[in-house]
Amino acid sequence: MSATIAARRRFVLPPWSLLGGAAILLVLLACAVVPEYIAPYSPTNFDFRSLLQPPTLAHPFGTDNFGRDILSRTIWASSVDLQIAIFATLFPAIFGTLVGSVLGYVGGWPDAIFRRIVDVLITIPFLVLVIVIVAVLGPGLGNMYIAVSAVNWIIYARLMRGEVLAQASRDYAAAGRVMGYGPIRIIFRHLLPNAVAPVLVYWMTDMALEILLGSSLGYLGLGAQPPTAEWGVLIADGKNFMTTAWWMSIFPGIAIVLAGTGFSLLGDGLASMLRRGR
Amino acid sequence: MYVLAILGRRLGQIVATVVLVALLIFGLMRLLPGDPALMLLGDRATDASIAQMHHDLGLDRSVAVQFWEFLVHTVTLQLGDSITMRVPVISLVRDGLPITLLLTGMAAFLALLIAVPLAFVSALRPGSWMDAAIRTVAQISLSMPVFYIGLVLLIVLAAGLHWFPVGGIGNGFFQDLYYLFLPALTLALSLSAVLLRNLRQSLLEVLNAEYVNFATAKGLPRRMILTRHVLRNAWVSTVTLLGLNIGSLVGGAVITETVFAIPGLGRLTIDSIFARDYPVVQGLTMVLAIMVSVVFLLVDTVQVLLDPRMSK
Amino acid sequence: MIRLAAALLLSTSLAFPALAQTRGGTLVFGRAIESQFLDPVHTSQNADIWLSLNLYDTLLLASADGKGVEPGLASAYKVSDDGKTITFTMRAGLKFSDGSPIELSDVKWSLDRARTKASGGDFAFLLGSIESVDTAGADQVILHMAHPDPVILQALATFNSGIMPEKLVMAAPGATLDDKSKAFADHPVGSGPFMLTSWKRNTEMVMSKNPYYWKDGKDGKKLPYLDAIRFVIIPDDATRILKLRAGELDVAEFVPYSRVAELKADPKLDMELYPAAQTNYFAFNARPTLKDGTKNPLSDVRVRQALNYATDKDALIQVVTYGTGTAARSYMPMSTPLSYGPQPLYPYDIAKAKALLKDAGYANGMDITCMVLAGSQDDAAKLATLQQLWSQVGVRLKIEQLENATRLSRYNAGDFQMRTSLWTNDINDPNEITSIFAYYATRQNNRSGWDDKRIDELFDQSQAELDPAKRAAEYKEIQERYAEAAPIIFAFEVPYPVALSKKVHDFVQIPLGNNIFVNTYLDK
Repeated sequence: MSATIAARRRFVLPPWSLLGGAAILLVLLACAVVPEYIAPYSPTNFDFRSLLQPPTLAHPFGTDNFGRDILSRTIWASSVDLQIAIFATLFPAIFGTLVGSVLGYVGGWPDAIFRRIVDVLITIPFLVLVIVIVAVLGPGLGNMYIAVSAVNWIIYARLMRGEVLAQASRDYAAAGRVMGYGPIRIIFRHLLPNAVAPVLVYWMTDMALEILLGSSLGYLGLGAQPPTAEWGVLIADGKNFMTTAWWMSIFPGIAIVLAGTGFSLLGDGLASMLRRGR
Repeated sequence: MYVLAILGRRLGQIVATVVLVALLIFGLMRLLPGDPALMLLGDRATDASIAQMHHDLGLDRSVAVQFWEFLVHTVTLQLGDSITMRVPVISLVRDGLPITLLLTGMAAFLALLIAVPLAFVSALRPGSWMDAAIRTVAQISLSMPVFYIGLVLLIVLAAGLHWFPVGGIGNGFFQDLYYLFLPALTLALSLSAVLLRNLRQSLLEVLNAEYVNFATAKGLPRRMILTRHVLRNAWVSTVTLLGLNIGSLVGGAVITETVFAIPGLGRLTIDSIFARDYPVVQGLTMVLAIMVSVVFLLVDTVQVLLDPRMSK
Repeated sequence: MIRLAAALLLSTSLAFPALAQTRGGTLVFGRAIESQFLDPVHTSQNADIWLSLNLYDTLLLASADGKGVEPGLASAYKVSDDGKTITFTMRAGLKFSDGSPIELSDVKWSLDRARTKASGGDFAFLLGSIESVDTAGADQVILHMAHPDPVILQALATFNSGIMPEKLVMAAPGATLDDKSKAFADHPVGSGPFMLTSWKRNTEMVMSKNPYYWKDGKDGKKLPYLDAIRFVIIPDDATRILKLRAGELDVAEFVPYSRVAELKADPKLDMELYPAAQTNYFAFNARPTLKDGTKNPLSDVRVRQALNYATDKDALIQVVTYGTGTAARSYMPMSTPLSYGPQPLYPYDIAKAKALLKDAGYANGMDITCMVLAGSQDDAAKLATLQQLWSQVGVRLKIEQLENATRLSRYNAGDFQMRTSLWTNDINDPNEITSIFAYYATRQNNRSGWDDKRIDELFDQSQAELDPAKRAAEYKEIQERYAEAAPIIFAFEVPYPVALSKKVHDFVQIPLGNNIFVNTYLDK
């Protein structure tokens, strides 16, 4: 075992990934919490004297077709998007992880039922399922969270189940059983911490994916509703102006990339810390 | 032989899955607020014309009768007629399925073509500038909405440089390959980023595993270690991930097909949900469910062949 | 110069104007929405209606200005003095696009099918005044009217009066007429200038020249000039415009208003704004209580008027249509015959709005909820503008985003307070829009629940009024009363924005929306 740990340590990501990710997310969090102190203009007020202006000192990100300041809209949007990242993934990640680890350890008929559910939900395209559920509940972000949560926990459960299965066959789990520990203790004290790293990494990716899903729904008219500023919707708004006013979609796009990078750096960092903590 | 036994068991499971999907999608469609008759009649609808339309469409019958009809339609592969287009759903499937299959197939192929070599480059020298560059590009393509990537490709490569047509499909298989290249690339970019991340991760794990260390210690040539041990092990997780993502690939096709004006099943499904065209949504979902199940079956089979331990 | 001289020579020798029209070629037309069903009587989708006349010819044709009619399949018609008999003389040698002759029985069968409620669908009411259809001699079709109908000639130039081949429809597979129509509409045969040659749903539809079309072109040969039209379905606006600019399309319909100025500046394109019989408005629910039981201030006419005054139409036109729209002067579009609107209704006047609200007891403002189409950029812009405008008179406008199907069913159930709406005329007469907007029996005046007995009375009279002056007076009173009662926000009219390559000539989208390709030609 010790050889493995030593080998692993050679490839452990430097802590800067954790710090870098946290720094990016802190900046976004500041934008999300107090946008009114950071954004120079109102995100929703029209200004007919400055329609579709390219980036200038007064409007560093330019203005949109209603004269709204893109920088301000991008800043205000961060609060909506961080909400999406958290609320659309929190339940699936926690519930899915718990279900997956229990199923992976217990097996038997609960596992068989779970695999049928997975088969059903995974054969219907995710977007189609989400769209139908959103259409049943009505467009808007709140219902999008519900729709995503109803479907997405499956992925976490599947991931976790696989990891736990793999871990359960390892020596230390067997050792735990030999020492007479109960299944709950084995699952939560031993298997879960060891198996959770891939789930954490996926969770961080998932946050970026859900922001993108919000934009896909926005493109189809089911996501965050105008005049609410949301990065994906801002990009969709700029779609018709890509050849004439590129700034309308580029800057919100950069914001999504930034947030995505922040989440994945954080995920990588957390994963490597967990591995070291083993 | 056990491969055949597994195949048989999986086939039984597929049938069960498809029946459950039928129940779920039928139920969800009936839960949707809205009324296909209103969608047909639009703003000119009067109470009398709505009632007449309900009767014509058979929507004034009980839900149980309608579900029974749907099951019969599915079993006999008739799938019923579209409410809005008034053609058999099966003919829509016949037109759209090859296009969607070709699109998603090309996308999966391109994604592998992009992800596998880059993942190797990245994983063999973790922390190098190449690794950083590859991961940054992957992060960007993972963070861009599909419709945005699509439009950028259209503006630059199609409308700007005239290398490709601006959307649509061609005449015949080979022209289709040409027309579908950009949309497939659009789909492939985000998928390849997902594959790349995971493949890189599992490559790192495998490269650090005892048996590779052991092989290195034994003095085996590096190339042999890579092909015999590392690739083989990483391949299993990539195929699994690809299979898992087929559903989302079809989902992504919804948007790609809209942006690139491709008459595939993805766009048709969404349009039909919006139009409350129950028979089309039900029929298409069933077809997609069967398709995806078969892909999973193939993935399982490949996995078992690659790694017999997976057979349980 | 040389071409000009040649043209002059020709024109003097043949006594024809310059022969500019070239023959041949395929026009590629980028559509936003796919047709669903190509049966002239069994559809109410604009995407179907707007192409119908190219496939199915009618007895009469709408004149170019849309106000009158001119001969079509019938070369002449005569209305009896009491208005109860109309006799049509059919052209000689008419054929369907498959070469089979158009029999008088086809005309009778088509009109009978279109006017009967059971087989004629939603637009049967347009022909509702016909009591029976007779044929006489070799070329006479006689309509016997239940009562004189001032609109019947226009109705016979409307898509649902298209003449169909009885034998082919009846020979189509299917047990009932409905099933047969369905099968026939998949491979339709008519007598319009074009015929459907292939149709791959959601991809493209090809219509090619009908070799048996009767009308002569300017060069003395049979129309149409084009060999074929290829309709390509491109739902995404940005892609459609990219494709036009790349030269892969000759025409792109439904250009977003936000891009009109940009395309106007493109030297390779003609950015056309065809006048449309189309009006944007906001529909009110004027019932005293809403579905959830709460009191509805919009039942008070003063509140409705106040909100109209508080709406700055110019601001709306600027924000939503980038200046391409015009302020509404009546509930009906101004291109509708007998429309009456000396000036835009309810000019922007905050003071008046405030006074009216105070009168009605809403000096402290009120909450109003408007349902809009989720994801619609236009609706979002409209509502954002109204929110800002109305906040100045204390009205807090709440927006309820709904997906189209949900919105329609809530609206039809009267479960709404206010909604965004768009209306397009289907016939060159005020009776269709008036029956929907102002005649309670049709559907509670556009589901508003507002009611005016006098308008109902006037409408009933106008439906049988043959004297054009009296009918105009009735419609004037209807429109004045409607404007006063303000059951809607009178907003603006918009044109049809269509972008065409410079090589396309003489295409037109008429105010009713029909795309007319019979005179269209392409530069070589």
